[in-house]
Amino acid sequence: MSLIVEIAEAVVTELNSMDLKSPLQAQRHYVPSFELKDMSDLRTTVVPKGLVISKSDRSNNTFDVQIDVAIQKKFNNGSNAEIDPLMELVQEIGDQFRLRRLAAYPAAHWIRTENTPIYSPEHWDELRQFTSVLTFTFRVIR
Amino acid sequence: MSDILEAGSNWLQEQRKKHATRSVLYRRGTDSVLVAATVGRTVFEQDDGAGAIIRTEVRDYLIDTEELVLAGDQVLPERGDRIEEIQEGATFVYEVMPIGKEPHWRYSDPYRRTLRIHTKHIATQES
Repeated sequence: MSLIVEIAEAVVTELNSMDLKSPLQAQRHYVPSFELKDMSDLRTTVVPKGLVISKSDRSNNTFDVQIDVAIQKKFNNGSNAEIDPLMELVQEIGDQFRLRRLAAYPAAHWIRTENTPIYSPEHWDELRQFTSVLTFTFRVIR
Repeated sequence: MSDILEAGSNWLQEQRKKHATRSVLYRRGTDSVLVAATVGRTVFEQDDGAGAIIRTEVRDYLIDTEELVLAGDQVLPERGDRIEEIQEGATFVYEVMPIGKEPHWRYSDPYRRTLRIHTKHIATQES
C-alpha cells in the first residue's frame, strides 16, 4: 500500500474510533461521488490529496502528506440551530488530530490543519447542503 | 385594445393545464397545497465543487401562479419548499433550489400567470 493510502486509512481508523458528540462513520474514497438524495445523513469522507517530498538530512526525506476529510450533510432549513452542531463537529475533528501522531501509523505526526473555506457557499446555495473540508498535513521522515 | 399575444399565451397556458399536468403536493413547513403541475425540463446535474462530486436530478415544475396558496395566502416559491410527486406508490420529493446562476424560480410567461420552479430530487419514500 502506498504511503499516502496507508495514512488515509489511519485517518479513517482514527475518525471511526473518536468519541464525538455526533457519531460518524468515515470512509475512504479516491473521488467522492454521491447523489444528493443520499446526503440526508451525515457523511464523512477521507480522500488522499497530495504529497510533497523534500530533503530532511543526508539519508532521509520528509514526506508531507495531505489528507482531506469532508464533512457533508443535506440540511433542512440551514438555521443556526441546525448548522452550529456541524460546525462544532468540524472543530472537534480538527482538535482530535492536533499536535498528535496517528495511532494507526505512529510514524506520521500532525503538522497543519487547513479549513478553507470553512464551508462551501456553492453547496449551501445550489444544493442546500453543508460541506466542510479539513485538509490535514501529516509528516513522515524516512 | 386587447393584447392578442397575451390572449394567445393565456390560451396556451389553459391548454397546458388541461392536457399536460399532474397533481403534486407543494409543501412549506406544515402548510401544503395540491396543485396541477406540468413537469418541465428534467436533467441530471453534477456539481464537483469542494472536491466532492454531487449528482442530482434537476426538475422544473410549471404551476399556475394563482394556485400557489399556502395558509390562505397566495405566495411565491421559496428556497427549501418541497414538491412531492407520487408515482407507482413511491413519493418522489423535490426541493426548490437555484440552478447555476438562475434563481430558484421565474415566471414562465410575460404575463406572470405561470411559475417555472427549479427543484432537485432529495428523497424517495417508498410506501
